Amino acid sequence: MSTTAQVHVPRAFGKAALPYALVAPAILVALGIAVLPPLYALWLSFQDWYLLRNPQPVWGGLVNFQALLTDGALWRAFWRTWIWTLGTVAVEIALALPLALLLNRDTTVARLASALILLPWVMPFIVLGYGWRFLLDSEVGVLHALLQFFGIAGNSSILNDPNLALAVITFISGWKGMPFMVLALLAALKSIPDELYEAAAIDGAGPWQRFVSITLPSIQNTMLIIGLVLGILAFYSFDLPWIMARGGPQDATTILGITMFKAVFTDLRPAYAAAISVVMLVILAAASFLTLKLGRRP
Amino acid sequence: MNRGNSRLRNGLLDLLTILLLGLVLLPIIWVFVASIRPDADIMSRSLIPMQITFDHFAEIFSRGDFLVALRNSLIVGGLVAVCTVLIAVPAAYSLSRFTYHGRDFIGFLILATQMLPAVAVLVPLVVIIRSLGLANTLTALTVTHLALGLPIAVWMLKGYIDAVPRELEEAAVIDGSSQLGAMVRITLPLIRPAVVAVGTFAFVLSWGEFLLALALITSTEVKTLPLALQTLFDPYSFSWGVVMAGGVVIAAPTVLLFLLFRNQLVGGLTAGGIKG
Repeated sequence: MSTTAQVHVPRAFGKAALPYALVAPAILVALGIAVLPPLYALWLSFQDWYLLRNPQPVWGGLVNFQALLTDGALWRAFWRTWIWTLGTVAVEIALALPLALLLNRDTTVARLASALILLPWVMPFIVLGYGWRFLLDSEVGVLHALLQFFGIAGNSSILNDPNLALAVITFISGWKGMPFMVLALLAALKSIPDELYEAAAIDGAGPWQRFVSITLPSIQNTMLIIGLVLGILAFYSFDLPWIMARGGPQDATTILGITMFKAVFTDLRPAYAAAISVVMLVILAAASFLTLKLGRRP
Repeated sequence: MNRGNSRLRNGLLDLLTILLLGLVLLPIIWVFVASIRPDADIMSRSLIPMQITFDHFAEIFSRGDFLVALRNSLIVGGLVAVCTVLIAVPAAYSLSRFTYHGRDFIGFLILATQMLPAVAVLVPLVVIIRSLGLANTLTALTVTHLALGLPIAVWMLKGYIDAVPRELEEAAVIDGSSQLGAMVRITLPLIRPAVVAVGTFAFVLSWGEFLLALALITSTEVKTLPLALQTLFDPYSFSWGVVMAGGVVIAAPTVLLFLLFRNQLVGGLTAGGIKG
């Protein structure tokens, strides 16, 4: 009797543990990448650690957060990041809405085009960044020649112009993210029943009226949620402004991600950079919470 | 009359679609075109290439640093693909087939990893990896790149496993197979296309990843392709043709993946995968 019980207990335990064992490696990766680093960043942000002065971190309390509040360059980067984020999402919607309307037809060309339109989204930043630098180069760039013709660019590339660099890289950022918005809008457009349009046409509604009273209300929720998701992505950008301009000229494209990167690798202040990370994580948590809340709304 | 009208309208809209698509994709097309133009032809700024050459590809593939980076990218990408599959398949199976305490939270935790931008965790990750003595190693890159594709992989595979009828496995269990045996012999072959898609997806995400590589790698022997492309862009003596050819090498697997797995990719993107 007792021997059978002993055999049964581990077997029952094994059965209960099996699903946990199967999912454990994935949890380990999630903990190692998504849970541990933010907690470590929090601890680090209370240290006083400036590599040129003290090679080992010592407890500094709120010293980093105090420095953060009075750092003029950081605050400029902070507001610039909001301009960058809102600009990116605005470009994404402005490009995606007409494209989605155009692609929402049942022809071979439209189907093929709605596949190919995804290319900017799936291509690595490094390829697109250099591609655009090539287009905007003052010696070989075709787009530069065009901009020069219209008097927007001078003899030097507009990437060297502190006033225009942010605008043009924001546009490129929006161009890269646009396909995701197109994809989402297309799905929303396809779910609008044809009967609504037929009824409206019978009632004598013109194309514009139909767009405003049927299409727009049906896709505005998708636009809002995907806009938020893309906005979160844009807020945490690094690759594009770094590859295209290294945050320059004169900090013109230095957004928070770049400030943070430079705080570690140029200024050698990891604890200060960790404090910036903590602030960014708090903003991320708030934005994600908002997105989830809106996403659940019918 | 009405039908002819709508056909004309669709034809015109198709034309407009092609035109706009060409405009939108121009920067990408331009990279590919420039990679096969002689530099003198590029300098002429003409829109249409006058000459075609493969010298740029010959040059990058004869450069030692580029070949080393190619090897490193293949190693990291390959390991990331294999590990992603090995971790994601059991995890997806567990989330799909079992009911247990904390399952929903675990699923959420894995998905939340996807929502976390690399920039937000970069600093602590770099400090941790440095203090472990793993800076400048492909190991560090492989482990961090795992997080890029794993969440989508788990959720995509879970969807596919959900669609496989449980009865198939139950029949195998009755025939004396263990549940894991049933998973390997019955379910896995049925979801093989999705497994291949997920692995390829993980490979491509690692292949083009820039920020973590930039932060973790400084020495030439362990640089990956995106970093090597930066090196090709030497401000004093560089050829646009060569840089664009390097870009094509980095873009090629992405385009290939895209052509092969478009449907799965779109499914993955809309299932909550939001990383670009």
